[in-house]
Amino acid sequence: MTAIIIQLLIGGVLLGGLYALIAFGLSLIYGVARVLNFAHGTLLAIAGIAASVMSAAWGLNPLLIAAILLPVFFAFGWLMYVFLLEPLKARNPMQTVVGTVLVTVGLLLILSDLAAQLAGPTNRNIRLDLDVFAFGGIIVSTTELYILLGIVGLTLALHAILTRTWFGRAVRAVTQDSVGARICGVRAGAIHAATVAFGSAIVAIAGVLYTLNFPVNPYVGFELTVKAFTIIILGGIGSLPGALLAGIFLGVAEALTGFFWSSDWAPGLSIMLLLAILILFPQGFLSRSAT
Amino acid sequence: MIRMWSAFAVGAAILASVDPSAAKQNSCDGPIVLGTTISVTGINSSLAGRWDKMTEAFEKEFNKNGGVFVSSCNKKLPIKFVYYDDQSIAATAVSLYEKMATVDNVDLFVGPDWSTHGFPVSAVFEKYKIPSVMSNVATPKVYQSGFKYIAGIALDARTWSKNYFEMLAGMNPKPKSVFWIVQDNLVTKAVHENSIPLADKIGAKTVGTEHFAGTTKNFSGAILKVKAAQPDVIYISAFDAVSVPLVQQMRQLQVKAMDVHHIMANGSMARQADLEGVSGEIYWHEGLGGNYTDFARAVLAQADIKVFDYLWTIGRIDAYLVMLQAIERAGAVDREKVTAELRKPGASWKHVGGEFQFDEGGLSQIVSYTHQMQKGEPVVVWPAAQANGKMNWPAPSWR
Repeated sequence: MTAIIIQLLIGGVLLGGLYALIAFGLSLIYGVARVLNFAHGTLLAIAGIAASVMSAAWGLNPLLIAAILLPVFFAFGWLMYVFLLEPLKARNPMQTVVGTVLVTVGLLLILSDLAAQLAGPTNRNIRLDLDVFAFGGIIVSTTELYILLGIVGLTLALHAILTRTWFGRAVRAVTQDSVGARICGVRAGAIHAATVAFGSAIVAIAGVLYTLNFPVNPYVGFELTVKAFTIIILGGIGSLPGALLAGIFLGVAEALTGFFWSSDWAPGLSIMLLLAILILFPQGFLSRSAT
Repeated sequence: MIRMWSAFAVGAAILASVDPSAAKQNSCDGPIVLGTTISVTGINSSLAGRWDKMTEAFEKEFNKNGGVFVSSCNKKLPIKFVYYDDQSIAATAVSLYEKMATVDNVDLFVGPDWSTHGFPVSAVFEKYKIPSVMSNVATPKVYQSGFKYIAGIALDARTWSKNYFEMLAGMNPKPKSVFWIVQDNLVTKAVHENSIPLADKIGAKTVGTEHFAGTTKNFSGAILKVKAAQPDVIYISAFDAVSVPLVQQMRQLQVKAMDVHHIMANGSMARQADLEGVSGEIYWHEGLGGNYTDFARAVLAQADIKVFDYLWTIGRIDAYLVMLQAIERAGAVDREKVTAELRKPGASWKHVGGEFQFDEGGLSQIVSYTHQMQKGEPVVVWPAAQANGKMNWPAPSWR
């Protein structure tokens, strides 16, 4: 039974870590720029599809693919903010919120259908036929180890960027007190744009990692966005450690539910947890100041 | 979710292309207008993404010889499709069929696909008394609901795996146990329920059943249950797209069995999930031949469709072909006469893979071929008369 539990934990942590990576960018974008980006999961799907196409066509290494996609998605995020979202800031707060939702939902639909037209609607992934390690009834594939390594590496890099760089300090300053940050010389508008760009770049890397183990198609994005919203609510909006903890918690809970109860119930678990946490811990596991 | 922009774009293109001189009922002027919806976008587009092109190619190829012979007109009439993207949403399909009945004034319907669409759309056919030959609506309950104006081309859930279990009965060593992994979906559950007695009949005892939701990504819980049960056969009743991570994770976790059977093991899944050695059901394959083979090949080539990638394409083509046969037999573009032909007891119909009859409710009695993925290619292994290879038993890749 111990081996089974460990096996379930490995699968749960892997999927949960990927959920957390998706949630990081979403959490950051909402925490700083106050943008509810419903197209966030779709960006992951498009990054995954692009990665799959590049892998199949040119046989590129996933690391190289991530390096190519990173600046592309950073630029896309920046342009998305400047041309589609920033103009909404001139409206009253209610119109800004509603407008943001409408724009990002519209973007989700356009990007999904555009990706389906360009790359086809079928599922895609990156096939890495790597070794599998088995010890004491526990089986781990090299691909899973790479993904885990990627999750850990990206989480540490994000933590370092947000705590040890000028950009990170500026982000936190704008999040905590936008007016105060401006008085100190931080251009809030530029920080908002950079944050949306940064969040989009993170999800591009998450897309490559996700596609190594799970298939993506142009329409999988919304489902992932909902999952990411659940995680940032569980973990506390704007909290990086909270999102990581919530993601892993959700992934492990799904895996355990699949074994001890039924796989049928695993996807619905996130909604049940969401409701429970909203009632019991309305601030999430960790408060936003933790970032 | 409503994709307004794509609906507008597709709608505008179609409205612009519809010939206003379309035939009126019982008229001998102009083309016969067939209305349909296709899941060009949305969740089912991975199954039907290129069928808009296929439908255009079908129209072009079929009209090359003048169209369908209508005896009351004593001439051939060309056909014309009016199609919309139902975005894989049943409610959208319903409103589009309403629109085609009232605004586009189509003569007859073909489609839609999928059991989830078949139920609600059948009510529209009844309301306007316009017959339709649906495709890939496999759930028998749709046809047992008393709808008069429907017929459907699909593998029947009741006999989906009939050939597979017949084949298993003769295997050596004989499989003694089966574990069912079932997607929570109308058709996949129906296939599973109807396969249980077939397994019982050959003496394969059920050692476990696991249902999963279509959004499941982590299957480790289900797979560990399978490993604990040590079944001879693992039977997966699920759609192809949702099964990719399942089969991948089964490989990673080194699942062993005599055979892993998937009811929709197709090409796109094979490229992603390593289906080598997996057996499955197939509606038709180019190597099988049959009626309209050359016609089907020409249509598929024009639409750039590899039938193994879009497994249910031939079901769609068959729906078109059967509707055209019904018009020819009715001898008029008359909805009631066409309906009467479609529901005539004992009538035999030609389709790409051979001939078949409809059951009392209007569901085609087409039985699938059993195939096994061998060296990356689907090899038909049963029935023996149509087989182009032998089943590797037990499947080497799952030992």
